[in-house]
Amino acid sequence: MSSPAQGLCAPGLSIEDLSWGHPLPGSGWRQLFRSFSLTCPLGQFVVLIGSNGSGKSTLLNLVAGTLPDASGRIHLGGRPLQRLRDHQRARWIGRVMQNPLEGTCPGLTVAENLRLAERRHRPAFLASGALLGALGGLHPNGADRRRYRELLGDLGLPLADRLDEPVGQLSGGQRQTLSLVMATLGSPDLLLLDEHTAALDPRAEATVMELTNRLIRQLGTTALMVTHSLEQALGHGDRLVMLHDGRPIGDWSAAEREALDPRSLRAMYGAATVKEAPCTVPDGSPAP
Amino acid sequence: MLSLWLGAYDQGLAYAGLALGTYLTLRVLNFPDLTVDGSFALGGGTAAMLISRGTAVPLALGVAILFGCLAGLVTGLIHTRLGVNDLFAGILTTTGLYSITLRLMGRSNIPLPETPAGIQALPDLGLGLDGRWAVGLTLAMLGLILLISLLMATDVGLALRALGDNPTMARANGINQRRGLTVGIAAANGLVALAGALVAMYQGFADVTMGIGSLILGLGMVIIGESVLRPRSVPWALLAVALGAILFRTMIAIALQLGLEPVDLKLATALLLLVALAFGRLRIPGLSDHGRLQR
Repeated sequence: MSSPAQGLCAPGLSIEDLSWGHPLPGSGWRQLFRSFSLTCPLGQFVVLIGSNGSGKSTLLNLVAGTLPDASGRIHLGGRPLQRLRDHQRARWIGRVMQNPLEGTCPGLTVAENLRLAERRHRPAFLASGALLGALGGLHPNGADRRRYRELLGDLGLPLADRLDEPVGQLSGGQRQTLSLVMATLGSPDLLLLDEHTAALDPRAEATVMELTNRLIRQLGTTALMVTHSLEQALGHGDRLVMLHDGRPIGDWSAAEREALDPRSLRAMYGAATVKEAPCTVPDGSPAP
Repeated sequence: MLSLWLGAYDQGLAYAGLALGTYLTLRVLNFPDLTVDGSFALGGGTAAMLISRGTAVPLALGVAILFGCLAGLVTGLIHTRLGVNDLFAGILTTTGLYSITLRLMGRSNIPLPETPAGIQALPDLGLGLDGRWAVGLTLAMLGLILLISLLMATDVGLALRALGDNPTMARANGINQRRGLTVGIAAANGLVALAGALVAMYQGFADVTMGIGSLILGLGMVIIGESVLRPRSVPWALLAVALGAILFRTMIAIALQLGLEPVDLKLATALLLLVALAFGRLRIPGLSDHGRLQR
């Protein structure tokens, strides 16, 4: 097993000394992360696996800035993510949610969704006073449509012919494909994938994973993918990290992962899954 | 008989701003905004007070819209900055607006006996004063619908629609939810205040209580318009909502013609809307549940 910090740290994702907890019903407190550190070099595709409650999705939320009150340092390409505002963070981070309904606007068309995602890499609108500038021009216009058709066509996606359809009419797999394309528009520095194939059938899952790998390689984006699927964990990514109770209990490079006996990994994952997480502080005070 | 239909048409167009504002908050932003009851009367009262003191009608309308926007801004800020529940934020603003409107008007009722010069200058199409109003209000509403359609097709409009459609996704794409919601609610109440001003000018007076039940009226207009046209794009939805306003006023005119007492109008409107909420396709966040409550 290699050390958690593999390769060069900058300018990829660097999580240092991260601590975060949350109150439990009653007066309890669960300290999920204690001085957690993880460094991902630029362009590395990291797969996070672990049992429910191990902190995988929470880690993604902390990096994405949707959970408050974390101590420690999270840097992306040298930028301190915790100091950035939502619209600033959105410029550097693309995210695909677990639920296909969450990552897109079902009432808007495919082209309008793509326009929204594309817009986040331009001067902030409804965010930093650039309101009047944002009023210039109607969108998505003909030029936008041509650009999107070309983009989707190049990726071999049939969505290229459905630009003006409401996203609510697409299948779950198509929505997740669109969500993935939206998250990678403008080549974000970091791609967060939160069990993004969990709600898909095997065929759609294979399609979305193939596209995921292709886009990450093409763009050279650093990626963190959370999954419960051992098959996905063993078959994708440059690095596999297993979490349990907010701690990395396994960290393998792709080569090390190849050499792993899948049965031992399965056993390790299974053992982690059945363990309870004893982390309530009796007096209810938030542990540091 | 023609004057009855023409009057209903004119009134419908005067009320169209209320329907458009309700559409913007409820359908686009997914925000049940009760401020409209206050901002409708605020618009009517402000315009009546200014016009009665000799202010030019366009300026009076502009000030009414501005005040309506400010009322919406207050609701938006109460909700987004202070974390007050959406319905309660609107109720708070509306309650306060009653006193503000009364202060502005100086008394509870201001008559506006003279038809604005701008309306008198329009062709009457052989239909008298109501014909002039019909021409003026039709042009004004078509212009307004065109303007809103264009605004909704900009990135700002797209952001507002995304906020109502999927706030999580909107936030992940860098849209400031607080600012977007506040801007949208302010704009919607500007439209509602414009409607209040136009209604006051058309009916020849403004009353401090003229806004009571405005949200219900606006909802009724939105439902009727959407049921008739079943729009699938924003411009069509705006047209549908304006048409709904006209049809709603026409239905009221018919009901009155059939012998319904004017005093029972609001009860009849409320019952109609209740039926639509309980059994119809209408699903409004915060006002109706998607499924039956668990017992």
